[in-house]
Amino acid sequence: MPTIEYRGRTLELNEEGFLVRPEEWTEEIALALAKDQENLDALTPDHWAVIRFIRGYYEEKKLAPMVRAICKTTNLPLRQIYELFPSGPAKGACKLAGLPKPDGCV
Amino acid sequence: MADATARHDPYQDKLDSLTDADLAAILAELRRRLKAPEIAAAHTCIRCGLCADACHYYLTNGELEDVPAHKLNLVLGVIKHHFLPGGRRAGGWVGARKLDKAVVREWVDALFGRCSGCGRCTVNCTSGINIHGLIRAARGALAAAGLVPPELQSTVMTAVEQGNNMGIPRDEWLETVDWIQDELRAETGDPGARIPVDEKGARLLYTVNPREPKFFPLSLLAAAKLFHAAGESWTFSSDRYDVTNYGLYSGDDSCAGLLSGRLVQAREDLGAEVLVLGECGHGFASTRWEAPQWLNRRFGFPVKSVLEVAAEYVRQGRVRLDPSKNKKPLTLHDPCNLVRLGGVVEEQRYLLENAVEDFREMTPNRRNNYCCGGGGGQLAMTRFAKRRLAAGRLKAEQIRATGAMVVVAPCHNCIDQLTELGKEYGLGTEVKTVIEIVADALVLPRKNA
Repeated sequence: MPTIEYRGRTLELNEEGFLVRPEEWTEEIALALAKDQENLDALTPDHWAVIRFIRGYYEEKKLAPMVRAICKTTNLPLRQIYELFPSGPAKGACKLAGLPKPDGCV
Repeated sequence: MADATARHDPYQDKLDSLTDADLAAILAELRRRLKAPEIAAAHTCIRCGLCADACHYYLTNGELEDVPAHKLNLVLGVIKHHFLPGGRRAGGWVGARKLDKAVVREWVDALFGRCSGCGRCTVNCTSGINIHGLIRAARGALAAAGLVPPELQSTVMTAVEQGNNMGIPRDEWLETVDWIQDELRAETGDPGARIPVDEKGARLLYTVNPREPKFFPLSLLAAAKLFHAAGESWTFSSDRYDVTNYGLYSGDDSCAGLLSGRLVQAREDLGAEVLVLGECGHGFASTRWEAPQWLNRRFGFPVKSVLEVAAEYVRQGRVRLDPSKNKKPLTLHDPCNLVRLGGVVEEQRYLLENAVEDFREMTPNRRNNYCCGGGGGQLAMTRFAKRRLAAGRLKAEQIRATGAMVVVAPCHNCIDQLTELGKEYGLGTEVKTVIEIVADALVLPRKNA
């Protein structure tokens, strides 16, 4: 089982790098995942706007938001979302926000 | 404590505690699906081993368990023991095996965990055995006992229960369509450009992969732009637009029939002439080829891939393409379910020859192309993700050898895998759909002054 270490804590990831227990997520974990999974050394305010919105949406509705809602809330154009998260909204942004892997062709 | 936090996998528990009733359910479903060709297969495999070199799992991993004939024999052994005369008496002599817990574990590992249902073994089989078809039948038998790996089954159930495989609520789908309609108007400069929904009597009903509205709507925009440029009469359905069918992957014919049946019914309700399937390999194989058997009816109306529709537009001069708009070297991936198993082979090539300046074929290609590794439900089954990425190495090498900067695939499942392969193997390629490339090349009709 792959794991990720952050400040002495060891969290389990599934075979695709998603947190096994989404409830363990913190913003520090997002940073660690960004480095480990997306090769991002730092997260910009735009990254955080996307990650925080996805996380809040997930905590309320237990599912990932549409990319439409992400763009609308953060005021970021669609193409910029793909630039910010090279693995895409699901395997990039949702993963860093600590969501479980969505169903479907992702 | 490591032990206290170790992840618990209920699926493993289930495999550990199989009952006689579970085994009986597997056998009953397997028996139901055996027709003459499957029975004949039990006697016709001559162990030539050609299928080994056809399989991307074997070619990248090289274990006996990866050889298609081995996977086939796991199924045939059970068929011989339980359903064929001589199997029980001659036992090991004819390779018969009684179905038990150990066999079920081997089935799960090999049939779900080492097969993407790509059919390359089938077309290379010297005896003409429908190897991937028998593997799917055995998956369906496991499904009858509730033994589909839960990550795959969850995508099937989301589609069955919520109308699409990502559980998108109706109002969010409609809001996204509205948004893309605004983008269409901005891009075409035509304030009258529309994306129709539930429009009765439209000629085409167009269906898409839910991951398009959910996460990657640029392909929706591309298709809308194409239909707009062609002056097409088309519509989406507000509730039955999901072209995918994970029942093909889980092997469960009743779920598969239900999912394809929705699209068939939506076409009827809206009175569309043609059911048009978006860029989705397995969705095409399901609704174009398998659904008439699942639903036990003749369709009597055309079911087409959007590639066939787009190629007609170009041939008839309904749209004009300017290849100088796509200058980067580009290669094409052939999705197994659309090409080898689906028969849509040349339309995408005709489109690309008209839409790009530098189109390079991979080797091998067309019906003999390698699977990207993402099909057969592999993308959903996280437990086998490492194998999926390792088995994709052949595809990554094929892409690299072309020197292309863009890879196109008329299948969103392949696109997700190809994107991951790009990251895993450092390809640095952009991944797009065919229709996105076509839309980029469109010469839009001038608006009246």
